[in-house]
Amino acid sequence: MSDTLISASGLTRYYESGEMKVAALAGVDLTIERGAYVVLAGRSGSGKTTLLNMLGGLDRPDTGSLVIAGDDVLVKSTSERAAFRLHHLGFVFQSYNLIRVLSARENVAYVLQLQGMEKKERFALADHWMAEVGLQGFENRRPDQMSGGQQQRVAVARALASNPDLVLADEPTANLDSHTGESLMALMRRLNEQQGTTFVIASHDPAVIASARTLVNMQDGQIVSVEGKDIEAVKGDTVS
Amino acid sequence: MDNLSIYLKLGWRNLWFHPLRTVLTSAALAVGIAALTFLSAMDDGWMQQIKTNFALTVTGHIQIHAAGFEDSRKLSQRIESPEQVITSISSEAGIQAIAQRVRVSGLASSAGSNAGAFIYGVEPEKEKAISRLASFVNKGSWLPDGDERGAVLGDVLADRLSVAMGDKLVLMAAVPGGDIASEVFRVRGLLHSGVMEVDDMIVIVPLKTAQHWLGLGGAVTDIVIRADSFEQVTPMADGIKSMLSAQVLNGTDHKGLSSGQILETLRWNDIDPMAEQWADFADAYTWIVLLIVIVVVLVEVLNTMLMSMHERVREFGLMGALGVMPAQVFAMVIWETVILVLIGGLAGFVIGGGLSLWYGQQGIDLSQFAVAFSFMYMDPVIHPVLELDSMLRILGAAIIGAMIAGLIPAWKASKLEPVHALREL
Repeated sequence: MSDTLISASGLTRYYESGEMKVAALAGVDLTIERGAYVVLAGRSGSGKTTLLNMLGGLDRPDTGSLVIAGDDVLVKSTSERAAFRLHHLGFVFQSYNLIRVLSARENVAYVLQLQGMEKKERFALADHWMAEVGLQGFENRRPDQMSGGQQQRVAVARALASNPDLVLADEPTANLDSHTGESLMALMRRLNEQQGTTFVIASHDPAVIASARTLVNMQDGQIVSVEGKDIEAVKGDTVS
Repeated sequence: MDNLSIYLKLGWRNLWFHPLRTVLTSAALAVGIAALTFLSAMDDGWMQQIKTNFALTVTGHIQIHAAGFEDSRKLSQRIESPEQVITSISSEAGIQAIAQRVRVSGLASSAGSNAGAFIYGVEPEKEKAISRLASFVNKGSWLPDGDERGAVLGDVLADRLSVAMGDKLVLMAAVPGGDIASEVFRVRGLLHSGVMEVDDMIVIVPLKTAQHWLGLGGAVTDIVIRADSFEQVTPMADGIKSMLSAQVLNGTDHKGLSSGQILETLRWNDIDPMAEQWADFADAYTWIVLLIVIVVVLVEVLNTMLMSMHERVREFGLMGALGVMPAQVFAMVIWETVILVLIGGLAGFVIGGGLSLWYGQQGIDLSQFAVAFSFMYMDPVIHPVLELDSMLRILGAAIIGAMIAGLIPAWKASKLEPVHALREL
């Protein structure tokens, strides 16, 4: 029996460029099950980041519907969407992922604090996740005292520490060297397999694409193909 | 509480991410708050001096007269039985001393000259507890007991009359019937108060002699009260007023009334509103300066916070993406502004307070302006006084100003859409 986490239907998003209307998303239907490890691939402008922003409740489609973890995301107010992100989603961005004045441990614990977790408990959990991403001993370092790869690992630890339903990563390896990028992908894949956390990653990095259990190829705001398993998308491509 | 701790932590650390900028902004704030604190303490010191000098040089804290005397200064408006009035008010709490006076304008003449004078008939011993007149005597002595013809006068008036110790002095004034009566006195002492009006005009003689000379019997023009403190003056005056009115209304006439007149009870600031108006003016002036300094300083704070906000647009976007509510972002920026103002404000209070305390002990010598100051009952040496009310006013203004200065960046930060903010470089 399928356990659907994301159900998106007819998502469109237009941007105005002068007098032109450009379709960033042109009717995307997408279903993702819990535990999936999905990579959205495509060239720049294909719509993968826009779709990722929709799934993260950071942007609203012009038309369509979106249900994540049983919640209709599109009917929520700004504050309700913020609360939804806090309790259901984790993010890893391309760069500038951490709060500059907090230590690595405090960055990981920040979301837990917002969720209302006690200090001792959240710091213990933060330390656990720092160890999970291989950064034991780096807990008190500030972002500017860590490499780009280490910062991305802290971001992964933060994204997973709050036990989210879904982790969204936008070009997580873009600012990393290839070795560090592969290492980060291996980490995310391992965590997906061990923790069962759903990952949706937008990237055009071959190393990231190679790590995908399910690959969704996008072009001109549409899904053009789906490869692998775990995903059921439009055009009759079904992944279970 | 936990949320507050993260706001404070983020605010504090963000401020010190750019230490030079924070130090410069805090220093500007500190200088402004220190200047305000010192100015306010000097103003409070001044006001205390003016009030104290005005009340204790001659006037006393409260005076009781026959109604209308303060305006008319006519001896026909007098208190016929002052002892009974004193008996009925003496139970009022907070009274330190009570004395009687006869007060009349007249002419003082010596062998070589004459001049207008304010003539005070006083009870020499009781007067010492009411006013500072006795302490101002710098030549000769205060009126000795039993010396019915002794007179003490202001040193400037003595110069104008060319009189010295032991010289004869003739005083002339209109008696209640309108006739002019004169009396001969001997100069026993000269006083110097520093207040021009007193040094130029005053002649003090024994009450009993004045009453006899002016045909007043046992009547007086003033019953003068000294209170334990300024704070007691208004409630005490109100108490005396209602006590005296009740006696009249109940028909238990205390015989302090003359021909059906009622008595008037006036506070020191009712007798001469100038001192209070001057205090109000100084207060308004301090408010204006406070406003200007706060505005200037807060523009600086606003500038700093806007710079800080603009360089952290991505960070605010990240926070929004992580689930921080717009209201929490707003509160965070406001707290950061308050912390910045508190750093500068506390430093300013320490500097301004320290200067005020030090100069409060040492005094600020402004004797080159002594003549101008004497009009205002001000001493040439000012002692700044730190008053809690003034400190709270400055602190309150600074914090409210900080809130206002923080509103624009806080509002902007809270309105950032994460999806757009995250794209900022």
